[in-house]
Amino acid sequence: MPIPLYGFLQGDTIGLLILAEEAETLQALARKLQAAARLRVEGVEDVRVVYNDKTMDPTLTVAQAGLQALDRFDVLSG
Amino acid sequence: MLNREEWLPLARKLDWDFSYVREDEVFPEVISGRPWLPHSEWKDWEESFKTSYREYVDNQYEKDMAVQAVHDAVGRIENVQKLALPWLNSLKVHAAALPLAEFTGVIGNLRGARFGRDSAWRTMATFGALDEYRHTQIPLLLFHPLLRLDSQFDWAHKFYHTNNWFAVAARHFFDELTVGQNAIEFHIATNVVLETGFTNLQFVGLASLARESSDHMFERMVTSIQTDEARHAQIGHPVLATVMKHDPKYAQYLVDKWFWRNWRLFSILTGLSIDYLTALDQRPYSFKEFMEEWIIDQFLRTLDEFGLQKPWYWNLLLDELDIYHHMIYASAYSYRATLWFNFVIPGPAERKWLRQKYPKYWDDMDAVWEQISERWRTVGPGSANELAVHGTAMPTFCDLCQLPLSAGTPRKNTAKVLVHGGRKYIFCSEPCQWIFLHEPERYANHKDLVKRVLSGEAPAQLPNLLTDYFNLTPDTWGKDAHNGDYEWLGVRKNSAA
Repeated sequence: MPIPLYGFLQGDTIGLLILAEEAETLQALARKLQAAARLRVEGVEDVRVVYNDKTMDPTLTVAQAGLQALDRFDVLSG
Repeated sequence: MLNREEWLPLARKLDWDFSYVREDEVFPEVISGRPWLPHSEWKDWEESFKTSYREYVDNQYEKDMAVQAVHDAVGRIENVQKLALPWLNSLKVHAAALPLAEFTGVIGNLRGARFGRDSAWRTMATFGALDEYRHTQIPLLLFHPLLRLDSQFDWAHKFYHTNNWFAVAARHFFDELTVGQNAIEFHIATNVVLETGFTNLQFVGLASLARESSDHMFERMVTSIQTDEARHAQIGHPVLATVMKHDPKYAQYLVDKWFWRNWRLFSILTGLSIDYLTALDQRPYSFKEFMEEWIIDQFLRTLDEFGLQKPWYWNLLLDELDIYHHMIYASAYSYRATLWFNFVIPGPAERKWLRQKYPKYWDDMDAVWEQISERWRTVGPGSANELAVHGTAMPTFCDLCQLPLSAGTPRKNTAKVLVHGGRKYIFCSEPCQWIFLHEPERYANHKDLVKRVLSGEAPAQLPNLLTDYFNLTPDTWGKDAHNGDYEWLGVRKNSAA
């Protein structure tokens, strides 16, 4: 069952609804948000996921990171 | 025979003591508003500009004739066709947002005309209701016939009857401000904050923009409406003065809440019109300059007049003058098919002007426009490529203002998640969350668009959302006004074909 999340990509002008899978990694989640915002924000390789004000290990899955429906996550450069 | 000065007070002040019913039954707090006070506390309610019904009708007749004369002279379709393309789309925004919002003002004023706490207040609110009827009818009369020119003008009637995201936000605002509001909060929020604070001056600014854009019909319309607003806006001032005397904390809350709520909607309607939908050589000022000169100074004077403090979020609001409407416009451009008017990309000359007017954050906004422009360069101009230069992921909305989560800056969006009563909410900004937490019972059950999609109430797929839920069609949904065919992009339609 996909988990709806509020994704905010640094450089973008709007938050987007991202449907995440429990088993996907945070790195994949970041790429998904980047792809969704590509019209407005140029894609960069070096990004990190921030959740509850903490930079997360990108290899963690969405479930392992504890992200739940309608949570906010941020994808920041560098 | 009595002269005017003798009979007018008799006609205005018709209060009496009730003998077979209690005063709080005639004016229940739930609909008259709080603080509930006996009439003795309201009996000195006094409007500064007094008018009789006969004078009112004579004045309005003259004003209507003046509007009609300008309409006959320059309001024909061929006159409208000569307007610059961006301005024509600003007209579509106002054609949709204005008329039925004004009609909700009729309902609010009629509530004041029955449940206002003094007879002079009720008399003025009756005139206010007649004013708002006029403000509904004039734009419908002027704008809806333009449907023959452009089917997007159909939204003059249609807008508030749809579940378009901007209509949801506007209804959320006007339902609370006017339709479902008690008399005291209505008159403070509408007359003092919306009209004295924003629209009275907005209409002066819009008239000036319209003049610069050679749109004399719109100029005359807003000028005519503004003269009514200047009169009936005074109703709220003695209401606020009485509430301030008995419950200053509540008065401060109402002003803080409604200034923020008005700012949100106003910054979109007027910010976009001034900085993007007026041709560059016809812009007399930037939106920020307009706000600083016309709105901010005037509002601070009003606060002083009543002994009120600046809202606690004042510095945040001043910072938003530099960025909020830019975030909204770029977001709306990239989701333009969700709206009923067309957009233009700011080209190099416009972006140079915007950088000069908004140096604080423009670098970040410029990067967004460069990326969007690059997409047009890649796919090439033309209507067939519209949706290739369009967002596909679901945009998100604030659970208070119902507007996109586009507050803060591109570097740091200020959206905040809140768990309340076992449910999760998201707000675009601290003030929106603060308003929610003051009156959660009022707001908690309203579903924003994302939650409607997730619950299956609204379609999840964008094409279905546009047609089945937003009531748009491929003819009417918003597009790039030039279909991406800008000389400065370096890829013209002919060479791309």
